[in-house]
Amino acid sequence: MAFITQNISSENAPSVRKPAELIAQLSDADALSRRWAARDLLLHPEAASALVAQLQAEQEVSVREVILTTLTRLGGSVAVAGLVDCLRSEDAHLRNEAIQAMKALPLEVAPIMGALLMDNDPDVRIMAVNILESLRHPQVEEWLLAVIDNDPEVNVCGTAVDLLGEVGSVASRDPLLRLKARFLDEPYIQFAADLALKRLGKA
Amino acid sequence: MKHILIVDDAATVRMYHRTILEGAGYLVDVAINGVEALEKALNKPYDLYLVDVNMPILDGYSFIRELRSHADIAQAPAVMVSTEAKPSDQDKAFEVGANLYIIKPARPEYLLNYVRLLLGESRT
Amino acid sequence: MAKISISEDDFQKFQEYFYRKTGIQFDTSKRYFVDKRLVERIEATGNENFRSYFAMLRFQASGAELQLLVNSMTINETYFFREEYQFHCLVNSILPEIVARKKDREPIRIWVIPSSSGEEAYSIAMCLLERWPDIQRWDVEIISSDIDTKILKQAQAGLYSARSVKNVPRNFLNKYFSNSARGYQLNDDMRSAVEFTRINLMDPTETRAYRNFDVVFCRNLLIYFDDLSRKQAAETFYDVLCPGGFICLGHSESMSRISSLYKIRKFPEAIVYQKPGDWK
Repeated sequence: MAFITQNISSENAPSVRKPAELIAQLSDADALSRRWAARDLLLHPEAASALVAQLQAEQEVSVREVILTTLTRLGGSVAVAGLVDCLRSEDAHLRNEAIQAMKALPLEVAPIMGALLMDNDPDVRIMAVNILESLRHPQVEEWLLAVIDNDPEVNVCGTAVDLLGEVGSVASRDPLLRLKARFLDEPYIQFAADLALKRLGKA
Repeated sequence: MKHILIVDDAATVRMYHRTILEGAGYLVDVAINGVEALEKALNKPYDLYLVDVNMPILDGYSFIRELRSHADIAQAPAVMVSTEAKPSDQDKAFEVGANLYIIKPARPEYLLNYVRLLLGESRT
Repeated sequence: MAKISISEDDFQKFQEYFYRKTGIQFDTSKRYFVDKRLVERIEATGNENFRSYFAMLRFQASGAELQLLVNSMTINETYFFREEYQFHCLVNSILPEIVARKKDREPIRIWVIPSSSGEEAYSIAMCLLERWPDIQRWDVEIISSDIDTKILKQAQAGLYSARSVKNVPRNFLNKYFSNSARGYQLNDDMRSAVEFTRINLMDPTETRAYRNFDVVFCRNLLIYFDDLSRKQAAETFYDVLCPGGFICLGHSESMSRISSLYKIRKFPEAIVYQKPGDWK
């Protein structure tokens, strides 16, 4: 027995298909077909709403992951609206994957961040703060400071202070001191705020 | 000396819990999500896991479920630490095999009492 | 310009960020290594201090500086038998499991990406010939791919420097190479053991042809990708592999920064990742 070579050829590959066909395949009974359809829709921004619809129904994690990657690559407001819906899912894994996807979409997320940070559900507000963790947008610190000045929930503030340890500038100093005064009885807030203050450095 | 793995995606929370636990004499390692936690646990089984719920790549529920499915490391106690307080969240935690479910932020003395309890140590 | 220095707080901030992004933990013993490279990057990007550099790193839309920073903090050299413990894992743990569960006599297919100048793929071929008893009983197909056609030509040519072969056991060197003034030339049999192909891993129209692989080696590539591209690559490999197939990442890489799709398998030699599902 030995080493063999059989030339890789695109003859062996599944053929390229039209968008309408791909969208139909998104709900195929076979997970592999759904995965390939979701992957091939990378080239079709018009498919965002079909992808969002399938994301909400999809049980198979390997398909869900490819749908999320495609949606994140496509971007756009339809994709982001779909991802926001996922934040309210009962499925912890889906919620967290939606957060990850949104971190990569600063332009689409920026216009809705204000509303997310004011959501009635403190868990949604925590998730919104989490999205700021890797978001490449100049307003990140401003949003975080608004949270620590205004949010009534200790865990929402706690999540924001954690991030200020990384992105806080001198503008954070006074809001952090005010936060400490607001949550005198919370050891975690004192710890986290002190750490962020220490890291602000010289002006 | 007992070895604890802190599983949490927030750097400050990891540092906070580490300070409390190291202060009480435990050895502490960290992981930022369930996959990293599993890799570390497979390399060196820990005596106790302190597990956040919401983390990227693999969440806390999934991590504990996976932990319980690996015979070599399934036994150690796992404490779920969460901001969520719905009864269904607690049910889910016990369903996947958590020993305890505590709400963040945990006061240092409560955390230590729970940890000692689960490790079979006396209170002082 | 004043000399740039990295404070304790700066280092901690950098360390947490880098750990989050890559999984690599630099402790205080690595201060000299890290500080030197950070200062280089701060100067190269025209920043005056760590603070402004870090803000740039964190908020830059393209993420390009992060990739350059990762590049500078990791060792990029390629040579034969680099991270050899994974080849031991292949021969002692992975392949025995594959052949025990295989239901057909189809060749065992291994994909090595990126090929770079071929050292990794040829190292695997040598390990199989010399250290895997079952090589006598199975056909093996090794394909190695890269986006860069120039480096592929170099790999096909099989000519290497002394530095590149420094870890090759003496008896392998004598058996598979001939030494000349131009360098160490791999013999024809060994050169034809590997098929080199050009591919862009991020292009699904190109990767669609890669299916039914038993093992993928993708070492020290994904660490240089951004988060989304890494995820996309992991999903591509998922369909490249047959059910139950294995993927090995580089020594300081982990699926923990990428995907939960794979089952973590701990073997005596290494941790590798396995696609769930029944063997073909």
